[in-house]
Amino acid sequence: MSSDPDKLVAKADKLTKLTLTRWSADWRNATLNYEQAANAYRVAKKYGKAKDAFEQASKGQEMLSSPWDAAKHMESAAALAKEIGNWNEVADLYRRASELYVECGRAQPASDALGKAARAVEDHLPDVAVQLYTDAISLLEEDDKDQMAFDLYRALTAVYIKLEKYTDAAAALLRLGLAADKSSATNSQFKAYLGAIIVYLYAHDVKAAEKCYNDCSQISAFLGSDQGRCGSRLISAYSEGDVEEIKRLAQSSTISHLDHAIIKLGRKLPTGEVTAVKAGTEEGEGLDENDLT
Amino acid sequence: MSVIDILTRVDAICNKYDKYDVEKQKNLNVSGDDAFARGYAAVDAEIEAALEKAELASKEKSKASIVALNAELRRTKAKLLEEVPKLQRLAIKKVKGLSTEDFAARNDLVLALPDRIQAIPDGSAAAAKQPGGWGPSASHTEIKFDSDGRFDDEYFQESEQSNQFRQEHETRKRRQDQGLEMISEGLDTLKNMAHDMNEELDRQVPLADEIDSKVDKAASDLKNTNVRLKHTVTQLRSSRNFCIDIVLLIVILGIAAYLYNVLKK
Repeated sequence: MSSDPDKLVAKADKLTKLTLTRWSADWRNATLNYEQAANAYRVAKKYGKAKDAFEQASKGQEMLSSPWDAAKHMESAAALAKEIGNWNEVADLYRRASELYVECGRAQPASDALGKAARAVEDHLPDVAVQLYTDAISLLEEDDKDQMAFDLYRALTAVYIKLEKYTDAAAALLRLGLAADKSSATNSQFKAYLGAIIVYLYAHDVKAAEKCYNDCSQISAFLGSDQGRCGSRLISAYSEGDVEEIKRLAQSSTISHLDHAIIKLGRKLPTGEVTAVKAGTEEGEGLDENDLT
Repeated sequence: MSVIDILTRVDAICNKYDKYDVEKQKNLNVSGDDAFARGYAAVDAEIEAALEKAELASKEKSKASIVALNAELRRTKAKLLEEVPKLQRLAIKKVKGLSTEDFAARNDLVLALPDRIQAIPDGSAAAAKQPGGWGPSASHTEIKFDSDGRFDDEYFQESEQSNQFRQEHETRKRRQDQGLEMISEGLDTLKNMAHDMNEELDRQVPLADEIDSKVDKAASDLKNTNVRLKHTVTQLRSSRNFCIDIVLLIVILGIAAYLYNVLKK
């Protein structure tokens, strides 16, 4: 076998093309050739050609009915596409790899592939990344592997925060809390709830933050936990308009144990006018009384 | 005998026979049926006698007699101390014909009695510290007040010393608080890390179980394969087959040689 990758590719192509003399494609040899060519290209740093070779190799493995190897080759192709910087193709290739993994019946690597894809494209195509993360999370949840999903949830939240979609970020955090609850990971759950409250406060939606806190307080353990207490102090500080207290709480160690993105939000609290909240609540009470009569 | 000796002897004899001196008795007992005065006089006399005995004891050379005298002294003291409360009660009672000053003086006299009794040296006085009497200033035997009970304005004024002390106390307290805060933050971090480690381990338990079962399956497959391989190899390369192979080879060579010979001719 010659080590020149071009020659290998040519040979493999010949093996697979159906002609008069060849009635059935010899996929085994072709795949071997493609793999060797791809490795050679990768060493030579010819990423485009390497990627193509990997794709062909993957197709060959598929034909040989070994989806696992096919998926592996697809992943390598996608990694090379990342080197080139062709983001759409990266996403596509990783998706294809994930589907092949699902064919094998292995959800974990499938979700891993989607996660890698999302991480690769989140800087350039954040919406695509969001979609990829969501798909990855659903794959794991279907398979009852909630705990693996935590990291994906956190990454998803970070992307949302970067996109400044705070309600979505808070929703993602609450879903994380739910997943943590299912696997009784109380620490992560409470940290997720506190993070959601902080996100709401950062978006200056104090009502939503209060509602969120009340919902989360249904879980008695949260009320008594460190994070719950910090949350309640934040809410009360907001309703009293005590800026110093908010700043002090933001520096506290409880918040420093949360996710990086959330810590950054926390340090920037309070956003906007804090004193206005008090007047708003008083007004609200007046209306309520009228309604009751 | 010297003059002084005579004088002392005369004094002692007079004291002894004083009780027959009617005039003196009359002066002593201002009101003959005053129980207090009588009791007090008796106690007084006893104290004097005890003091004399104590002096005798201190002059004695032989230890045994000293010890005996001291024991007697202590007994007398105990008896006298018992009498004191009785006298106290009597002192409070008003007696006709007694001036107010005398009455007040009686109280003081009674209160001073225990002190005098305890003051009688009995060989153990030096050892124990005299406990405070029932004076106005000291309240408890061990606690000693510097001011001796002068709780006037000056007492509660801030002094330089107390200010300094308070400042030092506050600085130390602040430093302790700072240290404790740092410790608390460190503990918070530790707690957080411990919780995360806990969750991570929980996450990895099912994975480890899966690995366990897969590795078990792979190991048993391997064992099977090995056994089969061994059978095949023994079958292929058993010595019996080897010999048969060699023998057949020799036979073929022999036939070839024979044919060669035949053809050469």
